[in-house]
Amino acid sequence: MSTRAITIAGFAIVIVAFFVLEFLARRPGSRIPTLGQWLGYLMRPRIGRVLILLGWWWLGWHYFAR
Amino acid sequence: MATDDVTGRGDRLGRRSGFPLWPGRRGRRLRTAVIGAVLAGYAWAAGAATPLTTTALVFVLIPGVVLAVIAYAWPPERIPAPNRLDITGMFWWVIAVAALFEWEASAYKDNSLPWHPSLTDLINPLIGPHILRSVAILLWIMVGWALVRR
Repeated sequence: MSTRAITIAGFAIVIVAFFVLEFLARRPGSRIPTLGQWLGYLMRPRIGRVLILLGWWWLGWHYFAR
Repeated sequence: MATDDVTGRGDRLGRRSGFPLWPGRRGRRLRTAVIGAVLAGYAWAAGAATPLTTTALVFVLIPGVVLAVIAYAWPPERIPAPNRLDITGMFWWVIAVAALFEWEASAYKDNSLPWHPSLTDLINPLIGPHILRSVAILLWIMVGWALVRR
């Protein structure tokens, strides 16, 4: 297995982990928060809201404008 | 029978009798359809913009400015955030996010060599075709709206 394949597998594992966590979080009685819940929690203070929205905009700029 | 004129569960009285049973529903559907069409058109146009040009920058700036103005001036009804998070449950997310950042940072540190590509190097070819780029832009805008509602 090439190092490139290992790198890609690493990203794939992490992204799959995100989906698995979201799935587990949506089960009744789960202690794991959903992605929306913890993002919402971080966005409760104004500074958190601004930073998360800036991060969202930066992603758009990074992938679509440069 | 006496029950002939009693509506059953599947009846659509409002539609048959000519008056709206749920007055706002059709309007909301129309509004959603119009917004969806406008966003799809916008994403299609934005997807055609060449990266590293002013046009591409403007296409990314506009949704950011529009959502910022909406979030500040006309905030929509927000989905209530939890008052506290379970530390143990949140820990799993922290591990996953940290792993993503670590993996990306190590690729960035290595200058994204071919044997250790960054996430950007992997995603950029995927969103190269116009249709996929447009879909990605549409998703990005929808995520932005979902964040504004949080």
